[in-house]
Amino acid sequence: MTPDEVTEAIKSQFSDAVKASEVKGVEARMDIHLEKSYEILIALKGMGFDYLNCLSAVDRLASGELEVVYNISSLSQPTKVLVRVRIPREDPIIRSVVSLWGTADWHEREAFDMMGIRFDGHPDLRRILTSEDWVGYPLRKDYQDERLVPYEPV
Amino acid sequence: MEGLMESFYSVFEARGVPLFVPQLIVMVVVATAVLIFVAVSVMFMVWWERKISAHIQVRFGPMRVGGWHGWAQSIADGIKLLIKEDIVPEGADRLVFALAPMVVFAAGLAAYVIIPFGPGLIVSDLNIGVLFYISISSLTVVGIIMAGWSSNNKYSVLGAVRSAAQAVSYEVPLVVSILGVIMTVGSLSMTKIVEAQQGVWFVIPQLLGFLIYLIAAIAECNRLPFDIPEAESELVAGFHVEYSGMRFAIFFLAEYANMFTVSAIATALFLGGWYGPLLPGWLWFLLKTYFLIFVMMWLRWTLARLRVDQLMYLGWKVLLPLAFLNMGITGLILVLRG
Amino acid sequence: MSTQEIEIAEQTQETMEEMYVNMGPQHPSTHGVLRLLLKLDGEVVTEVIPYIGYLHRCHEKIGENRIYTQIIPYTDRLDYLASMYNNFGYVLTVERLIGITVPERAEYMRVILGELQRIASHLIWLGTLGLDLGNFTIFMYAFREREKILDLFESVSGQRLNYAFYRIGGMPLDFPDSFLTDCKAFLEWFKPRLPEYDALMSDNIIFQKRVQGLGKLDAKTAIDYAISGPMLRASGIKWDLRRNDPYSIYDRFEFDIPVGTSGDVWDRYMVRRIEMDESVKIVEQALQGLPPGEIIGKVPKKLKPPVGDIYTRVESPRGELGFYLVSDGSEKPYRYKVRSPAFVNLSVLPIIGRGCLVADIVAILGSIDIVLGEVDR
Repeated sequence: MTPDEVTEAIKSQFSDAVKASEVKGVEARMDIHLEKSYEILIALKGMGFDYLNCLSAVDRLASGELEVVYNISSLSQPTKVLVRVRIPREDPIIRSVVSLWGTADWHEREAFDMMGIRFDGHPDLRRILTSEDWVGYPLRKDYQDERLVPYEPV
Repeated sequence: MEGLMESFYSVFEARGVPLFVPQLIVMVVVATAVLIFVAVSVMFMVWWERKISAHIQVRFGPMRVGGWHGWAQSIADGIKLLIKEDIVPEGADRLVFALAPMVVFAAGLAAYVIIPFGPGLIVSDLNIGVLFYISISSLTVVGIIMAGWSSNNKYSVLGAVRSAAQAVSYEVPLVVSILGVIMTVGSLSMTKIVEAQQGVWFVIPQLLGFLIYLIAAIAECNRLPFDIPEAESELVAGFHVEYSGMRFAIFFLAEYANMFTVSAIATALFLGGWYGPLLPGWLWFLLKTYFLIFVMMWLRWTLARLRVDQLMYLGWKVLLPLAFLNMGITGLILVLRG
Repeated sequence: MSTQEIEIAEQTQETMEEMYVNMGPQHPSTHGVLRLLLKLDGEVVTEVIPYIGYLHRCHEKIGENRIYTQIIPYTDRLDYLASMYNNFGYVLTVERLIGITVPERAEYMRVILGELQRIASHLIWLGTLGLDLGNFTIFMYAFREREKILDLFESVSGQRLNYAFYRIGGMPLDFPDSFLTDCKAFLEWFKPRLPEYDALMSDNIIFQKRVQGLGKLDAKTAIDYAISGPMLRASGIKWDLRRNDPYSIYDRFEFDIPVGTSGDVWDRYMVRRIEMDESVKIVEQALQGLPPGEIIGKVPKKLKPPVGDIYTRVESPRGELGFYLVSDGSEKPYRYKVRSPAFVNLSVLPIIGRGCLVADIVAILGSIDIVLGEVDR
């Protein structure tokens, strides 16, 4: 499927859930709402995108939201998809995609560890890179720690 | 040798001293001589192993300690081990912990009693020589289990049990492979077995037995490719993990002494003992023994390690049937010959 | 044999003496500070639980506080055994975000250094795998070869391990005059070495028996767990980013993609072993085609990418190395995320490690080829 076809298919099925979309080369990019995000991802997997390259978490401090970014692709076609979902900062919960792509297990654990996003339905959501008793979410923009020294350029 | 001992005894007899005094003196002197030989031999072997491994791996090995190719490296290592702190783990059974290396070493050393270094150069020519060797060498298993258990460490116990299982499993093909030689000679005495090889060395008619013996011997010594019990890159680090300093040195010594023993027995049983042209008998014996030790070292630095189940499979399902086959064929030929 | 026993036991609900054993962060065979909690039933491993994070150095947070050029030395230290390729992936991402073209000579230089780095990385993997299995000699031989590559890298960049040699827009320095002859001499020296290693490893029955049929990873699980690199190819999937999603000038070179069948440790060994031959071919072709010219393109003094984000992936020696950069128009990235292949490949260890013996865990871990710097960042 070409990226345009992918965007069309998703838009036609979930018209109001897609905030914005564009096509850059072979990549179909979409910003989607939180409510229908899981269904959209199921639909994308159904279109043959069975390879989850990367699941990242971004801290959008300015708008008071956290963002989860899914980079999905397929080994049998060149089209790639980039999906971005924004979650409210106060209560950052999103459905886990472990049942769709097994690799999301460790990626979601890292997103939880670094950003504090809770993944509903994850089999074993605990910290992965920091120690188990760590307090706080280090990659957030407002993360405070007295050990953090501001960088002084030479 | 005999005449010398008689005249020595008569000196004491003339003074009215009871017989056990000169006997005791002779025993102490001979034991010391054997111990010194073992110590020097082990030091040489440790240096040699490092040199062989180095040259196989395209590097030099010890070069500086003592001048020429680092010959004093073993002495330096020995001194280092001696002056190390003696750590006994908390909760370890102190008595058993201390005795274990001694048992292992003593069992290894006792086997030197029946090694025929040359014609007449044997500590005690027991007429059950081979049987003596087999039984004494099994005592090392007791020492290993003592070491593993007394360390108060679950990995030590696992390592010791594995090591004991390996030692016991490979003793069976070891013994059966020698049976062919014993049947041919008709005696268990080491000297008689060597003398029977005046014409043809037993390695030629008993080639299969020799090869099985060699493989089983490498397994007995816990050398690669059979060094699962000692492997550092495995999970369970071996039965001597809690030992340090002098105690570890004794285990180390025992391993190399064991290597010498099995090679010496192989030389006596298969490679014609002290027979050979030109050079004196004891020199031939040592040359053949060290050649076999060289082969063992060569194999260590070339091959990978066998897994525990593969090791057991090899011992019980491959070597043992082959050893029985060898024994069977030898027996058949002997009966047919009359 | 052992997996069957576990199934039978689970069916009959036999209580077994199960023991938890820690292959702790300090261990000669875990290739770094990795902790594996093994649940053992006798000698059989029923569960493997990896604990990572011992080498976490806040790479991504640091990236948010540095300008784009300053991040390059940090990327070296991600997968410190393949530093050139980390640099490659990162500068490629920034160049695509800004839209900078790289001159031809720089592209050729990048490929030559990248493929030499692939050979060096695979040599370490080969040596350590042999070492873990008890074969000490192959370790020495592999490192001897690697020394020659490190000498080449030293003549080019001045460094032996963490080069920081790629720049956004090209390369900082040209090859020294002796490089072409030295590199050709190295390749001539190296080509007959690999068949020598076969005698020690692949042709040796002890190695084969240790490794064949072990740690099988089927294609479906591999895709589900987003495995990449030689591990994916060993499971039978012909996917190599240099061929399937070409970057730089890889589409100009002829090389084969080795593929395995069953995804066991043996297949992963053979795939990497043949990849070394293929990398030699690529370097030879690149050396022949190396054009004269500029080594750095037109790059603005202050790098301020347009607002947006990009995900770029390269085929590092361990798999798909991806960089996700979010730019807010300033000199520093807003979000800098590294998708490291070793992190993702390691997540499949609990699945392929079940049912094997303790000694096999070491072999399987060696075949996944992880570098903790990359796993933990």
